[in-house]
Amino acid sequence: MSIDPAPTVPAEPGPMIEADNLVKRYGDFEVLRGVSLAVARGQVKVIVGPSGSGKSTFLRCLALLEPVDAGRVVLEQRDVSWKVGAGGGTERRLAPYRSQLCMVFQHFNLFPHLTALQNVMVGPMHVRHTPKRQAEAEAMALLDRVRLGDRAGRYPHELSGGQQQRVAIARALAVRPRVMLFDEPTSALDPELVREVIDVMEELAAEGMTMIVVSHEMRFAHEAANAIVMMDEGEIIEEAPPDRFFTAPGHERTQRFLQLVKT
Amino acid sequence: MEFDWQIFVDALTSEAFVSGAALTIGLAAAAQAAAIVIGLGVALLRASPIAPLRWVAATYVWLFRAIPTLLQLLFVWNALPQLIPSLRDPWFTPFLAAFVALALNEAAYMAEIIRSGLNAVDKGQVLAGKTLGLTSGQVFRLIVMPQTIRVIIPPTGNEFITLLKLTSLASVISLRELLTITSQTVSVNFRFAELYTAATVWYLLIVSIFMLLQSRLERRYQWTSRAEGRRGAAAAVPAIVTVNR
Ligand SMILES: Nc1ncnc2c1ncn2[C@@H]1O[C@H](COP(=O)(O)OP(=O)(O)OP(=O)(O)O)[C@@H](O)[C@H]1O
Ligand SMILES: [Mg+2]
Repeated sequence: MSIDPAPTVPAEPGPMIEADNLVKRYGDFEVLRGVSLAVARGQVKVIVGPSGSGKSTFLRCLALLEPVDAGRVVLEQRDVSWKVGAGGGTERRLAPYRSQLCMVFQHFNLFPHLTALQNVMVGPMHVRHTPKRQAEAEAMALLDRVRLGDRAGRYPHELSGGQQQRVAIARALAVRPRVMLFDEPTSALDPELVREVIDVMEELAAEGMTMIVVSHEMRFAHEAANAIVMMDEGEIIEEAPPDRFFTAPGHERTQRFLQLVKT
Repeated sequence: MEFDWQIFVDALTSEAFVSGAALTIGLAAAAQAAAIVIGLGVALLRASPIAPLRWVAATYVWLFRAIPTLLQLLFVWNALPQLIPSLRDPWFTPFLAAFVALALNEAAYMAEIIRSGLNAVDKGQVLAGKTLGLTSGQVFRLIVMPQTIRVIIPPTGNEFITLLKLTSLASVISLRELLTITSQTVSVNFRFAELYTAATVWYLLIVSIFMLLQSRLERRYQWTSRAEGRRGAAAAVPAIVTVNR
């Protein structure tokens, strides 16, 4: 085998995904008060924080599922922000970016009228316009990858929570996202089902998927995260690698929060 | 006077009764279909971000639910041609008038049913569709619609049965539907029991067939995998796949 002399593509200078000073209000209530976060290609960042601190809202804004009042969402150096009050046609413009920033939800949100296989085929068929045969083959391969090949014909309500969440991950993978956003993917699961979902997520991380994960699964944070991000009252108050974050958190509010989570 | 079975059977199978029944079914089905389409439009307008459109839709529902169906029917058949001369021409038949009146009336009820059906779909479904990169139109067609249909089948079935019976109102505008035929025949031979029973049997037959169709439709919207003999048995094995890492 000869070594290819072609110069390697220079690494992209900027982050894969970046939130730049995001501000989000619901009426008078400022949920996000200038949140900035950058994640490089292949990095995994885990967001923790108390209930109501704005974690889900932050992910929805990053996923372009909600407009922001101020700030930018930058995907591979491209400003893809959705601002409040943006005119008609905005949603059509956003659709292609949304599939690159695919979100996985706490309550799975599988389509109940479609089988596991059909759930995974929706993206390839209707977003990527893949022919049906090929979409089916791709979906089947993805279900195998999340170890659900034998459940392809099942409807969501016929699957356990852990299985549903793995189908949801396969469904997201089917649109070939550049970044995956997970919002408490295991917090609706019975304890014995958490592991099977975390396993799939750790594999994705190991394969180089860029991920932002809201989760209080400390084991996942320890094993897969490049950094842990602490959110409180609509702000990021601390970001650190897992070792330092858990052993020597810099912020007093982080210390208090970790105490609560541990008990 | 005894119940004359011969008269009953003759009437039941007479050409007039069969065509009357066909007209009843045709009118109800056409009006229901149009009502679903109009009702969907009105339901979507009621959820519009533009306030005047919401008012128009709410007014429509208010108006057509408040006015008695019979009055609407008489209005379309008698009053409209006075206001619009071209409706005096022969093409404006009793069937067409009954269709217009019943469809517009039923649409107000369907709008409410469809509106609550749309609201019953979990908002997370829309988010899940959008995050895959589906456009709003695709989300509506591929995800929201099927789930709405499932919810609205039973109340729509109710509506259709009501509508089937409302077609008998059209006897006042001399549409030759089932009840008109019955009344006309009765006025000739005065065999009330036999003819009313014949009409009853026809209504029962029509409604029964329809109920059968509805239950088949409901089963199609069960979203359960077919009883798979061996695969079903395999599913009884604990489903959790344990992974060795
Ligand atoms: N659609 C909305 N309208 C109004 N307020 C909202 C809306 N969504 C969220 N909020 C408010 O914004 C704040 C942040 O909510 P968010 O769901 O982002 O928090 P979270 O950190 O994800 O909390 P949890 O850990 O409980 O999931 C909360 O106070 C919530 O009540
Ligand atoms: Mg949340």
